[in-house]
Amino acid sequence: MTQSAPDATRRRILGAGLGAVGLSAGFALIPAIAQSGEIVFGAAPPITGVFAFAGLALHQGLGDYCEWRNTKGGIAGRKIRYIGEDSGYKMDQAMSVFKKIMGAHKPPVFYGDSTAWAKAAAKEISQMGSVLTCSPSFSSDLADPKNVPYYFMAGPTYAAMCEMLLEYIDRTSKGANKPAVAIVYSDTEFGRDPIPATKVKAQALGIPIVQEIVTKPGSVDVSAEVAKLRRAKPDYVIFHGYVLAPIPEFIKQMREAGMSTTPMGTIWSMDKTTVDAMGAAAEGWMGVLPYRYSYDTKDAPTMQLIKAYTAKARPQMQYVPTFYTNGWLVGMIFSEVIERCLKAGKALTGPNMKAALESIDNWDTGGVTGLLVSLKGHQIASGRIYMYDAKTKLLEPASGWIRTA
Amino acid sequence: MNFDWIALAEFSLIGLLSGGLLALIALGFVLIYKGTGVINFAMGEFMMLGAYFFYTANVMWQLPTVLALGLTLAAVAMAAALIERAILRPLSGQPVIAILMATIGLASALHGAVDAVWGGNNYEMPQLLPRKPFTLGEILIPGQVVWSFALAAVIITAFTLYFRYSSTGIAMRAAANDPVTAYVLGIDVRRTQRLTWMFAGIVGAVAGIVVASITSLSPALGGAALGVLAVIILGGLDSIAGAIVAGLIVGLIESLTAGYLSGKVRDIVPYVTVLLILMIRPYGLFGTRQIERL
Amino acid sequence: MRIGDFRQSYEHDEAIWQTPTSRAWLAVFFVFLSVFPFAANAYIVGLACVLGIHVISSAGLNIMTGYTGLISLGHAAFMGVGCYTAAFLAQRGVPFFLTIPLAGLMAALLGLVVGIPSLRIKGLYLAVATLAMQFILVFIFREWEPVTGGVRGVNVPAASLFGLDLNNDTRMYYLVAFCATVLLVAARNLFRTRIGRAFIAIRDKDISAEVLGIDLFRYKLLAFAIGSFYAGVAGALLGYFYRAMTPEYFTLALSIFYLAAIIIGGLGTMLGTVLGAVFMTLVPELLRSTVSLIAQWAPRATEILSPMQEVVFGLLIIGFLVFEPHGLVEIWRRVRRTFHLWPFRA
Repeated sequence: MTQSAPDATRRRILGAGLGAVGLSAGFALIPAIAQSGEIVFGAAPPITGVFAFAGLALHQGLGDYCEWRNTKGGIAGRKIRYIGEDSGYKMDQAMSVFKKIMGAHKPPVFYGDSTAWAKAAAKEISQMGSVLTCSPSFSSDLADPKNVPYYFMAGPTYAAMCEMLLEYIDRTSKGANKPAVAIVYSDTEFGRDPIPATKVKAQALGIPIVQEIVTKPGSVDVSAEVAKLRRAKPDYVIFHGYVLAPIPEFIKQMREAGMSTTPMGTIWSMDKTTVDAMGAAAEGWMGVLPYRYSYDTKDAPTMQLIKAYTAKARPQMQYVPTFYTNGWLVGMIFSEVIERCLKAGKALTGPNMKAALESIDNWDTGGVTGLLVSLKGHQIASGRIYMYDAKTKLLEPASGWIRTA
Repeated sequence: MNFDWIALAEFSLIGLLSGGLLALIALGFVLIYKGTGVINFAMGEFMMLGAYFFYTANVMWQLPTVLALGLTLAAVAMAAALIERAILRPLSGQPVIAILMATIGLASALHGAVDAVWGGNNYEMPQLLPRKPFTLGEILIPGQVVWSFALAAVIITAFTLYFRYSSTGIAMRAAANDPVTAYVLGIDVRRTQRLTWMFAGIVGAVAGIVVASITSLSPALGGAALGVLAVIILGGLDSIAGAIVAGLIVGLIESLTAGYLSGKVRDIVPYVTVLLILMIRPYGLFGTRQIERL
Repeated sequence: MRIGDFRQSYEHDEAIWQTPTSRAWLAVFFVFLSVFPFAANAYIVGLACVLGIHVISSAGLNIMTGYTGLISLGHAAFMGVGCYTAAFLAQRGVPFFLTIPLAGLMAALLGLVVGIPSLRIKGLYLAVATLAMQFILVFIFREWEPVTGGVRGVNVPAASLFGLDLNNDTRMYYLVAFCATVLLVAARNLFRTRIGRAFIAIRDKDISAEVLGIDLFRYKLLAFAIGSFYAGVAGALLGYFYRAMTPEYFTLALSIFYLAAIIIGGLGTMLGTVLGAVFMTLVPELLRSTVSLIAQWAPRATEILSPMQEVVFGLLIIGFLVFEPHGLVEIWRRVRRTFHLWPFRA
């Protein structure tokens, strides 16, 4: 067979490339060996993909907590080692990272990336009985200590968040007629999760749901949806299942059409960067968040600590997002559980850690959450309503801390 | 209960007008298909690139809008020319499916690069189009929908005139129609192919800037173009007129579905329509019927 | 040194494994496949299961696209059909050795329906028609809650053989490896029959094939059915492997993943299918592992390098297409020839 010269060069380049990949592969497959005595925190945060910005901050928050904790001597004298690999917000990739880290390090705790991961991994986790897990998902299906025994969430369920909003609407409404509410949610598991519970709650409170709109998440044209919303004339619109887009466009168009509706959001669309990206539309934006914002450091030692730590370790980070706070809080809970087990002289097995998790009651998070925390039900059932203040350009509390049922 | 005719009129108008933007994105696909016989799966990434370049120039570097726009279009056109030279030209003569795959690889690389450079954050784009709504009695049409339609109409018309009357445009049509004959007749086919990619890049960049300024700027923008596949198939892959008509039809269908059915079916209905139309007209509404010979 | 093998009969010429050496290597390979789970850790075994499933599904797509020339962008949805069929049946106590073939048949049945337009619609138009099916099927997965569990997804009970639950990766591995072997051998043999040759004729020029007496409609439908059958089986295995599934898994991205696998591996070869699936499955894993390895010394590397994985992956795809358009299988053949002809240059 004859080959032309450029072809041969091409193939040599290709060969070299393949060789490089192969070589790095060979090294990469050697698992990192944890030193004895170290406690490994495993994680599969979505550093790339649609939740990239949230995933990156989650990863940083959890990792930084471990670094900070190590400077304080670790957990009961044992160092923490944080191993996080990108999940890309894909279920199979997250499962693969989970299996890899479990296989190589047998970490007692693991932070996943999504509801899909939590569901797919649930059976294996129950079977292993050696790992306590958490993830950024607040899906109602997962707050279930009986069926998902080794999972907890560092906040209330999405349904509880929507209920908090409805209660707020009910509490602040004046006059004989209850305000009309519309719900707008994304056509995803995340979006659909709290909708049935929200409708039940609205009915119980006598609040009419005047319109229900489903959209795709992300950059979509919403003119027709706003036209529909305008005809329903709601006093409040609850957005759920989005991080940002298309919420700002909804609000802008609603304002331009002369609607005075109050828009509301839930946890993942409440970060300040998200609200900043709304621009002028952020005026009047409200929502529920189970944590304090990072600038809200008064009487909150943990928030002061996060501020001081990020100022030192991440000077380029001008604002600490709520996702970071979530990662940090999860690190705190993981450590607390492990510390309780170690202090009681118990092995770090699933049932022991589950018992330790459920024993957390009246626990002070140092102000990340406003109320003392109980993890008996595998969730932090409290939060606060915030409202955007156009003067300070910050989200300010609009209610006290609320404990949910 | 009386049927709300005003609502119907409003949904229809919004739909038709927002179809303009779909037609513009579709034009980007059609240009490349006509010129090179490939569906460019990286179209959404061109849009994303345009929007990010513009954001960088206009917001981060504080350049005036017109200058920023000019720079952005030039940069995207150059990037497109580079991509054509480095990837598409070595692949000419390969099966369509291999080139298709290369554009998918390109989409992945560009998407990752944007993520690496600008991060996954959402940015608020400066407002480019006037947003003041138009009212017609009780009908209310958001301003940016009208203006983006107008912009799309201007660009599409400009391209149509260019292809019809300028000598380069005629050369490009000739090369698209029959590259070998065009080459024999002295047309620089390589140049026309490069131009095709540059034009498609520019169209994509404009569409990207408009879409990002209406929604928000994040790497998720890259997925926006995939929704337009229904449009180009409906219209026929190689027909600009088809892209316009199909853009309007799909815009109308989407708006009416969102208005009267639910957002759940919004994505499906255009594809069901496309499937039905393809059964009757296998080359779309306006696509060239290929006559096969042995 | 060996310069070729001398074929004395048609049987020999048609044989899949033509020389004693290749048959010996095959035996070695099977021994490796069967003892491999004992030597590897859980992660590698899990990865091998995923890889096996991807191989089966890619083989199906290669039969449709690589051998018959019907481009499909809806392959992932057919896996979904298989997965949900298996879940539905398994929840009602049907054993896995029935659910898996039934899942394949269900997908094949649907493949027949989707294949009907293929007689009229060709090339990229067909690709987008199958894309429409992709969206429509995923829509059904999301909405048909009594059967599919809607967006919350389904649970799949563990497969069980004589009271032994296939509830860990090693046990699943043997099931996947068995299915993959059977289906690959079947696919390879398919192309030694009239049907297989008809497929290839259609790919090369469908009108010529028709003139030569091949019933286009029948064979195109058959190709769709067979390809979808493979996808259905792969989907069922996927369900048994993860034991829970949501519709968000069966996206267009997954369909494109399989298309990439067969193009990079080599269209119209079964070896290429395997190589392509290996490439598409392992390269992202390796890139991530490399990032994680660097992160051991530079903990912040994960933040910076994670987006670069996608860039490298995209560039590798482009690189292969530009430098080796015939796929990995061509590289494999060249390497093999080099060894055969050594010490002379190929």
